[in-house]
Amino acid sequence: MNERRALTLMLAPYLLGLALLVFAPAVITFGLALFHYDLITSPRWAGSANFRELWGDDLFRRSIRNSLMFVVAAVPLRLLGALLLALLLHRQFRGASTYRAVTYMPTVIPDVAFALLMLWVFNPLYGPLNLLLDAGGFTPPQWFTDPSDARWAVVWMSLFQIGEGFVIALAVRQSLPADLYELADIAGAPAWYVFGRVTLPLMAPALLLLLFRDTIYSFQANFVPALLIFDGGPPPFATTYLPLFVYTNAFEYLRYGYAAAATLVMFGITALIVFAQWRILRRWRLPSTA
Amino acid sequence: MVSGLELAGVRKTYGDVEVLRGLDLDAEDGELLVVLGPSGSGKTTMLRVAAGLEEATGGTVRIAGDDVTRVPPARRNVAMVFQSYALFPHLDAAANIGFGLWARGMSRKEVQERVREAAELVGIGELLHRRPHELSGGERQSVALARALARDPEVFLLDEPLSNLDAQLRTKTRAELKALHADLGRTMVYVTHDQAEALTLGNRIAVLERGVVAQVGTPDEIYQRPADRFVASFVGSPSINFLPSEAAATFGLAADGEVGVRPEHVRLGEGEVEGEVAVVEPAGPEGLVHVDAVGTRLVARVQPEELPAVGQRVRLAIRPNDVHRFGADGKRLG
Repeated sequence: MNERRALTLMLAPYLLGLALLVFAPAVITFGLALFHYDLITSPRWAGSANFRELWGDDLFRRSIRNSLMFVVAAVPLRLLGALLLALLLHRQFRGASTYRAVTYMPTVIPDVAFALLMLWVFNPLYGPLNLLLDAGGFTPPQWFTDPSDARWAVVWMSLFQIGEGFVIALAVRQSLPADLYELADIAGAPAWYVFGRVTLPLMAPALLLLLFRDTIYSFQANFVPALLIFDGGPPPFATTYLPLFVYTNAFEYLRYGYAAAATLVMFGITALIVFAQWRILRRWRLPSTA
Repeated sequence: MVSGLELAGVRKTYGDVEVLRGLDLDAEDGELLVVLGPSGSGKTTMLRVAAGLEEATGGTVRIAGDDVTRVPPARRNVAMVFQSYALFPHLDAAANIGFGLWARGMSRKEVQERVREAAELVGIGELLHRRPHELSGGERQSVALARALARDPEVFLLDEPLSNLDAQLRTKTRAELKALHADLGRTMVYVTHDQAEALTLGNRIAVLERGVVAQVGTPDEIYQRPADRFVASFVGSPSINFLPSEAAATFGLAADGEVGVRPEHVRLGEGEVEGEVAVVEPAGPEGLVHVDAVGTRLVARVQPEELPAVGQRVRLAIRPNDVHRFGADGKRLG
């Protein structure tokens, strides 16, 4: 068997999965967006009607705004969290492996289980978070009734699930040559200088990749908490993000064509933001000191 | 005279492994001391302890007479050139050279001046805007050296800085380094496993064996009067021939202890002892002949035109004045 054939065979299961679970639904979504379809009656041609309706839909605009607010708040915090934890845990010390495992663990907990756990954590009567804040003399946030508090709760939840970013940042930090730091040590460079001048620039390519990835991920990541904990609320639709908007239209209102059109818009917005990030950050270089 | 760098009874252990076992080393002020040793002899650890990158388990480190054993690296006033060069890949040569200076809060003008001076000293004044990946191996090495120079330290610590260069460039850079040391007159401790480098570069050589200094001396002393069997065998290429006392007696040499004889002192075509040529190695201006005789194999260094054929019977002689004698404990006798 030649190498090419062997490679094709080994890739086949993955490619098949990709075709069935990603490409085919994507193509169907493109098609569906041009129809009215409710699973019961035959699809009816809609043309651009679904998109035009989206344009005038207040709730859709609100869900875009909610999603953008989530991305703006969550992505930098998630990235910063992953980076800080990687910097803290990249050294070998007693218990380092345990701390790393603990950091990663929330990421592998199923979303539903995690959401149910957080439902208890945020409970205003007996949830440990508010009890703790109350005991500390702070006014506990109204997670389920105040729109702003609810949005922050979703951001807060997303900060626990940064295991993948953390692992990548950790691997990159550990791959940086130790002698560069030893040299900085001998030169008497202070820690902040070494971080800004050595660590950050050398980790930058990986951090940029994480930024793009996390932006894409964050547009979709808040679906489970938004549905299970807040059910899109508190009023007025404070946690109705784009994925929940799509879900509600498709599976509650049986408006598959409309939901597909919203999905395409969500895809377009994501692509636009990632493109803008790439355009802005690709020229990011440290100035020469000569 | 105040020592540039002094290590007294320095010990370094990692768990149960003792890498430095009471090491004594003294590089005089302004001296170029070469520390020579095989892999695992502790030479890099010694350098790291001197720089403060590793804390000594025991003993004392002094720089310019001051005890710096517990002083952090930044306050030891040393500069180190790493085997890997440790250049920051995202910074150009100028920023690499000026790295330590920026960190100390020097003014921009002062940094630029120092960077230019150091770069010109090692001949890379034109390359300051290039990043490491745009430089050749030799140029990178020069940047690393310039960075050390720009700091103007009390002691330079150089960890096999030429080992990544090709043979030709190594020879050239070696000569440049020696000239640079002569110009600067600064204390340099240069670690290498390459004996040719050690013999040509150092004012003195310290030979390390398993964490202790086996011998310190001029290159001539180390080669001509090795202190023990290890130094005799490690220094010299090809390695010294060792003859057990019975074999030595066959050559008419006094049979007290083991006898060592350098290949250039095994004389072919003289004497009564006969042997058979096993291997012939022509090597440019000289040739090496491996001869099986008196129950052992001896290597002789000869002129290329004197090379015999493989299988040929040859006569060999060794003069009593040319041999080194070692006792049962490996120490030199006489």
